[in-house]
Amino acid sequence: MSEDASEEKVELQSARRGRVDPHLSIKHYDPEADMMLLHFGPQHPSTHGVFRMDLHLDGEVVIKATPYLGFLHRAVEKLCEKLTYVQQTPIVDKNDYVAPMTNEQALNMAFEKIMNVEVPRRAKWLRVLLAELQRIASHLVALGTFTLDLGGALGGGSTLFLHCFREREMVLDLFEELTGARFHYNTHTIGGNRHDLPPGFDKKVRAVLDEIELRIPDYARMSVDNAIFRARTEGVGILDGELALELGITGPNLRGSGVDHDLRRDAPYAAYDELVPKVIVERGGDCWARTKVRFDEVAESIRLCRLALDGMPEGPINGYKAVRQPTQAKVAGGQVYVGIETPRGELGTFLIGGGDTPTAPYRLKIRSPSLHALSAIPYILPGFTVSDAVAILGSLDPIMGEVDR
Amino acid sequence: MAVSDIGRRLPVVADGPTDARAARSGVDESDLGYEHPLYKTMLAVPGLSVATGSLDQLLEWGMRNSLWVFPMATSCCGIELMAAAASRVDLDRMGTIVRATPRQSDVMVIAGTITVKMAPRVKALWDQMPEPKWAIAMGSCAISGDFYRNLYSVVPGIDTIIPVDVYIPGCPPNPEALMHGLLRLQEKIKARRHGKPVAAEPNPTLLDITRPSIGRFVDPSRDPALNEQQITSALEASSLDGSDEPKDGEAEPTIAEYEPVSIPGAQERAPELEAILAELGVTELPKDGAPIVAADRHYELARRLRAAGYRQLVYVVATHFAAKAGKAPSPERFEVAYALRTVGKGSRLAAWRVQLEPGQSVTSLVGVFAGADWQEREQFDLVGVRFDGHPDLRRIMLPETWEGHPLRKDFPADKACPPWR
Repeated sequence: MSEDASEEKVELQSARRGRVDPHLSIKHYDPEADMMLLHFGPQHPSTHGVFRMDLHLDGEVVIKATPYLGFLHRAVEKLCEKLTYVQQTPIVDKNDYVAPMTNEQALNMAFEKIMNVEVPRRAKWLRVLLAELQRIASHLVALGTFTLDLGGALGGGSTLFLHCFREREMVLDLFEELTGARFHYNTHTIGGNRHDLPPGFDKKVRAVLDEIELRIPDYARMSVDNAIFRARTEGVGILDGELALELGITGPNLRGSGVDHDLRRDAPYAAYDELVPKVIVERGGDCWARTKVRFDEVAESIRLCRLALDGMPEGPINGYKAVRQPTQAKVAGGQVYVGIETPRGELGTFLIGGGDTPTAPYRLKIRSPSLHALSAIPYILPGFTVSDAVAILGSLDPIMGEVDR
Repeated sequence: MAVSDIGRRLPVVADGPTDARAARSGVDESDLGYEHPLYKTMLAVPGLSVATGSLDQLLEWGMRNSLWVFPMATSCCGIELMAAAASRVDLDRMGTIVRATPRQSDVMVIAGTITVKMAPRVKALWDQMPEPKWAIAMGSCAISGDFYRNLYSVVPGIDTIIPVDVYIPGCPPNPEALMHGLLRLQEKIKARRHGKPVAAEPNPTLLDITRPSIGRFVDPSRDPALNEQQITSALEASSLDGSDEPKDGEAEPTIAEYEPVSIPGAQERAPELEAILAELGVTELPKDGAPIVAADRHYELARRLRAAGYRQLVYVVATHFAAKAGKAPSPERFEVAYALRTVGKGSRLAAWRVQLEPGQSVTSLVGVFAGADWQEREQFDLVGVRFDGHPDLRRIMLPETWEGHPLRKDFPADKACPPWR
């Protein structure tokens, strides 16, 4: 072994010192410990869907966590190989069902890239507006359900849950007026959007934004500034930035670990080169830091929505021929990858076109941020109690439809 | 049809009262779904039921006004179920509260897609609920499997597993629709107790869309052996399985065998992907798609890229290319694509591909990026590419007993998976 390699090895050991090995068999742990195996999920209200963990406990402390996935594997990627390009938008809506708007945007951006379709400027701004509204709604769900996890289903924790869902309904009403659906909108198409803003819409959006902004201090008093909340979340589930990068974690979970990375600013798409967001970063890496990032992103999204409304350009909202039949979009070949920043992180679409049927993708893979976020579980859970395990899982904000697909 | 009931689980009403006491109370005792101790006491004391009015009415009044919901929420509809329990719609005012345990609940609301991996658990949970119990299928996935129903991993409707009382169509149904469904269930409970069941609406199309054809739970043509199979399978799934522990004679996990990786400082930042590729002897850069690297060299590439600042793992995608005949014939092959990313302003993506013959394996990247662990497991599960040096190459999405790899081109998308689909 050369000198360089051995130096590298020493460096590696120092970087990975203290990191849990998720593949270490339970046989290697202390045989004297009074251990208990707790099955957690797949049907458990705090697992945010159908997610299962086996927790090895010493007393109340988790010493090893083994996650199991796939309880919501709906074979979306196989289905997408069977359907034409035009038919796929409503399918991917159901993946991340708390933020469907950004799902369809990620998919259609990949289609636009492989087909070389230019998106008109108004559609780009419209996409930013919709994505930021969706970010507000999604972060409200994350915050509400997280406090529900901390406080118990019937305890005081449901207060903020009720507040958050009240404000989320306002955003959903806007989407309903625009697209006709509360969620699963099917409004993004290849080359732009399907629904233009109805007259008087921007006034309604502004009213909702004002209302939510007014209530943000209330939320803060009930969550991130609350002494009990801080006691439950500070120092819990610490995820260091290097591990987060190695696991491919993105979005608020990464920024909560002190890594200044946001695709909206760092690899701009849609109109984010003109509407540059301020990237929120927290250094703690714990549950509180992740929640604080989401919390501050709500205010930032409100600012971006207002900017998008102020500067919304006139013009067409679709640069592609109108959809007349499902087989009209054809791709001869090629491979593309497009990643965008959804409320959960980098949602990517890897697409191979061509094959036997030019109207359908040969392979479509959805890179889901929630899957990467969940892969931190075996690393950050050990050492904390069972009640903290619920808090950590909630703070990662996974959506199982996107994890299992 | 806003909300349809299929009341086939209801008891058949006898033509005439068979018993004098039953005639007095208007209910044929033998047809009750359960027996209540109070009910017998009431009937045993002459005149008591007259004095207190109908016990039936009392019982069903209590039943229908405290419907505790067990949220079998798996996906999108679960969010609408939460919204229904939250501020605007507020199910609590109907006496309906959400309980997270089957043992205290009266109604199971199946909100979301049920997969073959989840189905035994749903069955086990349903069997844990005490009688009397009802089931509501919320949303098109629970009703029929929606557009997933012809896919290998999805159960084509929850009523192939458990009997359903109320169907709420929609994708997802609004919270108001869920409330409507609960009101219809209340009507059904009310009607049931006086020998006046809600008439079943015959809807043959609903029964015909099942594919592969498993009889619905209320279907008279349903095979009784299937019930046995489903119960056995559910019992197996709900038993404790500490599947993590290695069996006797199995090799211990290899912990210390990962190759070392350097954590780069800012001064070590190498310029670009092409330079590293040239060092590794890759000079051909194809126009459509990422450069192709040999299966045994790409580990080194990942190491160097990481040292050059590409610190974030983006994706691992395996693709199966079926053999092609015709003008430009090509043999069967696999392709595994990787990508890494730099962090911060001006983020750059470095992607490459590895091409494999059938049966050939590729070096795992778990030693460089811990996140490759689950990604490679997923590709192994769905496409069937093997990764050398992966410490834990097991299935991740599909059940351990699954055969075949669904994303291969020769895999039938609508493969059956008895006893669930």
